[in-house]
Amino acid sequence: MPFIEELIKYKSCSIVGLAKNTGKTVSLNYVLDRLPLDKMRIAVSSIGIDGETTDQVTRTAKPEITLREGTFFATSEKHYLQRKLVSELVEVSDENTSLGRIVTAKALSSGKILLSGPSSNLGLRRWKKSIEKYNIDLILIDGALSRMSLASPATSESMILSTGAAYSANINTLVQKTAFVVDLINLDLTSEDNILRFNDINNGVWAVDDEDQLHDLQVTSSLSTNINTEGIGHCKTLYLSGALTDTFLNHIRGKRVFKGTEIVVTDFTKIFLTPILYKGFVNGGGKITVMMKSKLIAVTVNPTAPNGMVLDSEKLCKTMSEAIQFPVYDLKKCD
Amino acid sequence: MRLKELIEQPCGLKYMLDNLDVHSGYSRRVLLDTEMPKDILSIENNYKILKEFYDVVKEQKNQSQINSLQFKLCNLKEIQGTINHLKNKYVLDDIELFEVKHLAMLSIDIQQIMNKLQLDDMIFIPNLEEVVSILDPDGMKIASFYIYDSYSEKLSELRRKMKVKEDFDEALFNEASGIEDEIRAKISMQLSKYADELEAAQKSLSFIDLNLAKAYQMIKYNLCFPNIADDGVTEYEGMFHPEVKDALEQRNRAFQPVDIAFWNKPTLITGANMGGKTVVLKTLTLCQYLFQFGFGIPAKKAKVDVKDEIYFCIGDEQSIEKGLSSFAAEMKNIDAVIKASRGKRKILALIDEPARTTNPKEGTALVSALVKVLEVENVSLVMTTHYDIEPTDSRRLRVKGFEDGKMNYELVEVKDGEVPHEALNIAESLGIDGEWIAEAREILIMSKSTQLETLSKTIGLDPKGANSTPLKEKGVEG
Repeated sequence: MPFIEELIKYKSCSIVGLAKNTGKTVSLNYVLDRLPLDKMRIAVSSIGIDGETTDQVTRTAKPEITLREGTFFATSEKHYLQRKLVSELVEVSDENTSLGRIVTAKALSSGKILLSGPSSNLGLRRWKKSIEKYNIDLILIDGALSRMSLASPATSESMILSTGAAYSANINTLVQKTAFVVDLINLDLTSEDNILRFNDINNGVWAVDDEDQLHDLQVTSSLSTNINTEGIGHCKTLYLSGALTDTFLNHIRGKRVFKGTEIVVTDFTKIFLTPILYKGFVNGGGKITVMMKSKLIAVTVNPTAPNGMVLDSEKLCKTMSEAIQFPVYDLKKCD
Repeated sequence: MRLKELIEQPCGLKYMLDNLDVHSGYSRRVLLDTEMPKDILSIENNYKILKEFYDVVKEQKNQSQINSLQFKLCNLKEIQGTINHLKNKYVLDDIELFEVKHLAMLSIDIQQIMNKLQLDDMIFIPNLEEVVSILDPDGMKIASFYIYDSYSEKLSELRRKMKVKEDFDEALFNEASGIEDEIRAKISMQLSKYADELEAAQKSLSFIDLNLAKAYQMIKYNLCFPNIADDGVTEYEGMFHPEVKDALEQRNRAFQPVDIAFWNKPTLITGANMGGKTVVLKTLTLCQYLFQFGFGIPAKKAKVDVKDEIYFCIGDEQSIEKGLSSFAAEMKNIDAVIKASRGKRKILALIDEPARTTNPKEGTALVSALVKVLEVENVSLVMTTHYDIEPTDSRRLRVKGFEDGKMNYELVEVKDGEVPHEALNIAESLGIDGEWIAEAREILIMSKSTQLETLSKTIGLDPKGANSTPLKEKGVEG
């Protein structure tokens, strides 16, 4: 059983798909089926609707989420009443969604369920807090669509990345695109000093000069190119509390004041760069680091695209793991 | 009028509600939905309950019980929809059954704490043991819920069978679901008898929450229990405005409490600018509302007369949306007071500088007339003004004003109708341009002599004797 051993070292894990139909639900079911429930308590939630029998967007068949006895889960009132398992209701939250309030229950038999948990970062955090009293060892969060921001290290310690033919039908392109995301996930943490220094800054772009002085560059938007570098000889570190975009990176590149500057962002979900620009910047000696990072546990692939096209699973896994230097699994082929 | 319709009145009521430490959102909604009590009996009763809570809360030894009570109250949620379903004999789903069980267990827990605190005879909580036993057949005393195996032998057998099966067995599951539905129908039927009790319990728990919060607010802001007036006189000693007081204290300044009394004889408050007249009116309005709704009163001592209606007219509400000028808006507001005064209801009217935005001559006439019109049995009028209005039967209170370069906000009763003329002195103390002030003084002196001449001509008096008329100038010489 690959990566389960690794997964149980963390308290939370998001399962993120790079596109729809990349096998996120398969990954979740795979994990749910193999976690040692006799030794640990698991809770599972999803961002938005998941586990629906038919994909809401592409109308393709999708596996339901199967829970084993003892697993805690969050879903909406509507889906709770449609469950196909025996479960004990333990919590009804005040949080309203279009499908009713979010409820938390414990499965008393194995069976199938539609998950539709809290759909915002705040709601997710509130839910995590509300189930603290049940001594949960691992929380699994199923991400919806490709809403990467909800897989941010702020909400989960580790992540499983699902990719596949639905993301790109060409193995090389697929590998390149996935490798780029993996690169971002694996970005180094910035230094302790920087983390302490920037931790309480919630907005703006800030520079640290060679004398360790902190300057507010008075940037109001990540799209603005109006950067005030007055009084800064050379910028050693640049901290962006918001997004890092192509526009911004292009603007500071080649400026003497930003030569060899380390760019710090809160986490990888804040980076909105095209791969070419990112590569060019990094290969040219540029450095991007993060304040928070989550541990990538596995990359899973689904070689089948919703239009029926199937890639060579073995070749895909091999090329991919060579490119990203990380084990890649086609879970349908695993034990 | 319900509390939520009064909350935007610019008297500081919202501040008091924002600083009311209620533990359940439902209790806050109950409070905002409360109709203003207008009878002595219910106001008296509310204060009786609050007093019991207050005495309990003040005791250090009760703190841990109170903490657990507050903790429990955080879990109070409104389930009116579910209760209505029970009343209409609908079959409840699992989530609704969970809610019922949750409320029933919560009210039993809270009843026990209330018992220990000896508050249980103050607020009646219906006994919901029966409800719990219906929804907790195994007696586990856990607030979670599902259709337990022990409801039906058959269900439990089906579930055992399902468990042994390797794969999900749709047929077995459907059969079990059918039995679950029957059980839900049966227990919903049993529970429907308790719909009224559940509703009452929910209400009672919110009252506990509210009284607890009111008691804590009394301690926090040093509020007092009022006496209910039986002679129509409202009287405050050491009255203060919590919001203004807090704001001043943040700037390291102290709020000077005020003593004031009024009854159905019109009371006029005059006094220098910046003398706190408007704050007095705001505080009186606030206190009256707090009293009617059974809160602690921001004063050292208070005796308050119960009113049916309260009118607070503060001049500067321009209703641009309605297309009214500030004068028109004000006239409409005061008009409502006058219309209401013709009925039988007991009215408190608090009017801040009426007709201030129009010319002083007509303004004075309007204000003098207003005092006459509102001098009726059922109206207590407190009004601030800068106008020299004709001496009538009304009472005059005056802000003491500037003393040794400091404002004294104390109110003193004055006999004559004349208003203090301190505007120029105050302007001077604010460092306003000297030429302007000097020029104004010139004009005042000149107009006084012309007025005296005209006056003596019209009433045929010797100008020398005119000094005794109410037009004499007092404030200026200081």
